Amino acid sequence: MPPEPVIDVAGLVKHYHASDGTVVRAVNGVSFTVEAGEMVGLLGANGAGKTTTLRMLATLLKPTSGTARVAGCDIRDDPVGVRRRLGYVSATTGVADRLSAREIFASFGRLHGLPDETLPDRVATLLEQLDLTGCADRPAGRLSSGQRQRVSLGRALVHDPPALVLDEPTNALDVIGARDLLDLLARLRAEGHAILLSTHRLHEIENRCDRFVIIHDGSVVATGTRESLVADWIPGRDGELEEVFFAAIRTGAAHSELQP
Amino acid sequence: MTPRGQPSSLVAALAIARRDLLEFVRDRRTLVITLLLPMATYPILALATALGLRTATQEIDARTAPAPIRVGLSGPDAALFAALVQRTLETTPRNERTGWPADVALADVSKADAESLLDRGAIDLWIVTQPGLLAALQAQQTVPIRARVSARQPANVTLREQFLAFMRTLGRDVTRGRVTAAGLPTTLLEPLDVAFEGDPAGGPPPMEHNVVSTLAGGMLVLLTVLTLTGAFYPAIDAIAGEKERGTIETLLIAPCRISDIVLGKFLGVLAITLATLVANVMSIAATAAVAVRYLPQGVVAALPEGALAQASIATIVAFCGMAAVAAATCLAVTTASKSGKEAQNTLTPVILLVSAVAGSALLPGVRTGPLFAAIPFAGQVVVARSALGTGAEEPSGGLVLALAVAVSLLSSLAVTWLLLQLTALTLADEDVLFRGPDVAGTPLHRPARRRRPNAVQALLPLVAGFAGLWYSQGLVPNDLRWAIPVQQVLAVLVPLALVGWWQRVDLRETFSWRWPAVGGADRAARSASVMLGAVLLGGGLFLLGAAALLAWQGGTTSAEARQLSSRLVALIQDQPRWLAWALIALVPAVCEELLFRGWVLAGFVGHARTRQRLWTAIVVQAAAFALFHLLPERMPQTFLLGLVLGVLVALTGSLWPAIACHLAHNSMPIVILAFAGDMPDLAEAIETGASSAAMLPQSIIVAAAAAVAIGSGLVAIGVRPWNRLMEHPR
Repeated sequence: MPPEPVIDVAGLVKHYHASDGTVVRAVNGVSFTVEAGEMVGLLGANGAGKTTTLRMLATLLKPTSGTARVAGCDIRDDPVGVRRRLGYVSATTGVADRLSAREIFASFGRLHGLPDETLPDRVATLLEQLDLTGCADRPAGRLSSGQRQRVSLGRALVHDPPALVLDEPTNALDVIGARDLLDLLARLRAEGHAILLSTHRLHEIENRCDRFVIIHDGSVVATGTRESLVADWIPGRDGELEEVFFAAIRTGAAHSELQP
Repeated sequence: MTPRGQPSSLVAALAIARRDLLEFVRDRRTLVITLLLPMATYPILALATALGLRTATQEIDARTAPAPIRVGLSGPDAALFAALVQRTLETTPRNERTGWPADVALADVSKADAESLLDRGAIDLWIVTQPGLLAALQAQQTVPIRARVSARQPANVTLREQFLAFMRTLGRDVTRGRVTAAGLPTTLLEPLDVAFEGDPAGGPPPMEHNVVSTLAGGMLVLLTVLTLTGAFYPAIDAIAGEKERGTIETLLIAPCRISDIVLGKFLGVLAITLATLVANVMSIAATAAVAVRYLPQGVVAALPEGALAQASIATIVAFCGMAAVAAATCLAVTTASKSGKEAQNTLTPVILLVSAVAGSALLPGVRTGPLFAAIPFAGQVVVARSALGTGAEEPSGGLVLALAVAVSLLSSLAVTWLLLQLTALTLADEDVLFRGPDVAGTPLHRPARRRRPNAVQALLPLVAGFAGLWYSQGLVPNDLRWAIPVQQVLAVLVPLALVGWWQRVDLRETFSWRWPAVGGADRAARSASVMLGAVLLGGGLFLLGAAALLAWQGGTTSAEARQLSSRLVALIQDQPRWLAWALIALVPAVCEELLFRGWVLAGFVGHARTRQRLWTAIVVQAAAFALFHLLPERMPQTFLLGLVLGVLVALTGSLWPAIACHLAHNSMPIVILAFAGDMPDLAEAIETGASSAAMLPQSIIVAAAAAVAIGSGLVAIGVRPWNRLMEHPR
């Protein structure tokens, strides 16, 4: 029997009630998996449902229906178990300006129940791993945006979770910062973490993710490796992922317009 | 033992509190508010108060202090009168000179000069002695002494009183002379010798004790407000600040429950609030020690031995409870906010409201007793005043004080727990957590057209309405012909029209303008049945309400209620009947139904129409309706009427039956007074504001109950199927 995927999303649905009483269907039955040691890119335009999907995965939102499992824990039945096994960095994640990286890591370590004896070592290891040792005691408000994003990542990694979920992690970063971060994620993948990251900056992750999930209007319209996607959506051409993306969401849009 | 990665609730809460505290103390605003503000506030206030008090008492002393009086004497027996005065001045012992002037200087003046001397202020009084003064005194007659004052510079009250006090002593001396001359003992004049015994060393507390009690009360309210201010910034920082910085999600995905996060946040805010309280108390103690030197003599009355320590402990314990409520209140209020600025905007009016509640503990009507100690934000002031003693009441100690402290603490714990539950609910609410920043000021922005207002918008005309209710009292004359329409327009129609126009809601939907019954060929007949039922309900409810009021309250209505009743009766009797009916029944029925059963009910029901929301909305609008009627004794009746009217709208989906019911209810006094001859008891009850009639005739109560029953039946027949609002969501 093959090992269970670390992240297993099964038919997630999320509907909202807007303030005018109408129902917004943000996510309409999304399913995909992420294995250990695998990096999967969740692609979609703004408003496609990426962030809502990731928030449900991180137990911040309750699904209207469907579910997901993280390292064997169900997001509906055992949200605390999911949080123990998941590192999550949202698109809007900031850092506490008046605390240093060391203090931030230590406080989240305590929240995750790391014992006081091993906590300083774990924090020191993380600081070194994320190249933050030189500014470990500086208030985070005085760090560069790249350093701040690494602090965010370190905060999500402090309990060494098997699954890592990142929502548009390179958004606020320049080219160098983005590359450094993605290199770091590649190292984490090599260490066996299952990584799911959403982005709409396709060129950055084109050659870094093992697989891609493309969603449009709350539904998955395509999924596979870069090669299989190119073969399926733009056969006979060696195009970029961006072309695949446009081909897929055009079909998705046509499909959703046909729906009653 | 908890497994790795799953800290216990307390460990998680403490980890969050520790992290928050680190952040708070690195925020300079917090330090300023916590330490510098109290350190500066109390000395400044104390110095200003002490100096002001000293100036005021000095002025009072100067005005009442014994002053010399210059008396001009003319007339044949001026020298004799002067001799009498001189003798009294010389022989009266010091302790019998109470109320005297400092000195009485006499001068002979000619009648020609006297007027000008008076006018120039050279003399204060001018006395022309009558001829035969000595003979008159010896003949045991009453001798008239006429002291003239200047028309230009009339002698002040103090001078007159002091002169009279001196002349009474002089009169007593003359009497003593007469008694002695008659060979009688002088003890004849003093049959009683009264003195107080067992007085403490210092004698009775000076009259100015009230001033210190008032100052202490003000200080307690200030302490409440400043302690609350200590929670202000940390609470804003704790949740709204985390949202603004984008760090709240990192906490929400920590492996602990929402309640642990809220507890951690609360503990962090509470620590700062308590530190603020301690800084304030220390500043008060130090300031009081210094301020005593600046206060005028006799103003400070010492508490009995040991009472100060006991009072201080009780006060501080009660204030610690208040600090917990303050921290929880600030958290609960700011949790829904998306940014620090938004949280500040929300919290500022709350601080004002809390100050008002704390200040209400100083009202003369509020007794210092254990039950009052349960009121949040006022209880700790009640406990402190009970411990320190007010001007009117002695300090309580021992069991009474312990009970008050216990009640205050228990109430604080309960309120804190409730507020933390509310905070956790709000924090976990997905709509609140992930709403866009543009939604922050929705109630204040002009939104797109939609069907109904929301709960916050439902409150807007109520707040404006209460203000309108207050101001309209000042704007209109006492005449009810003007007062009623102006009040209805200012307190109900204008706020409603402005907010309604601004919020662009669907008027038909919001105000339920439709037939009371739907569907079927018999729609008109069923609608008529509902309307008739509503009228019977309204009339019956008025009579049952009046009967209940009489049975429960008998003759103990307030002066305000009696005054209102008599003014209404006068209006009904003096004005044409149609005008009285329009003013008392028609205008209020239409205006108040539009506001309460229209706007407020629709707003609280909102779009997500569940049974729970519907009932909450009915209760909330009924409570607001009751509060709107201001008089406490009318509130239970108006609350019940509000409930019935709310249920009518919920059942029929139409405002018309509610208007009809309200109209019938308010028309009853006019109907009764029209037939007053047949029902003297009822007429008397209405005319006197339910003061003397003990009970209504049983026949009327039975008829009223029957009207309510039949009315309910008619409504039920008309609205089938039931729960139209629930089953046909629009």
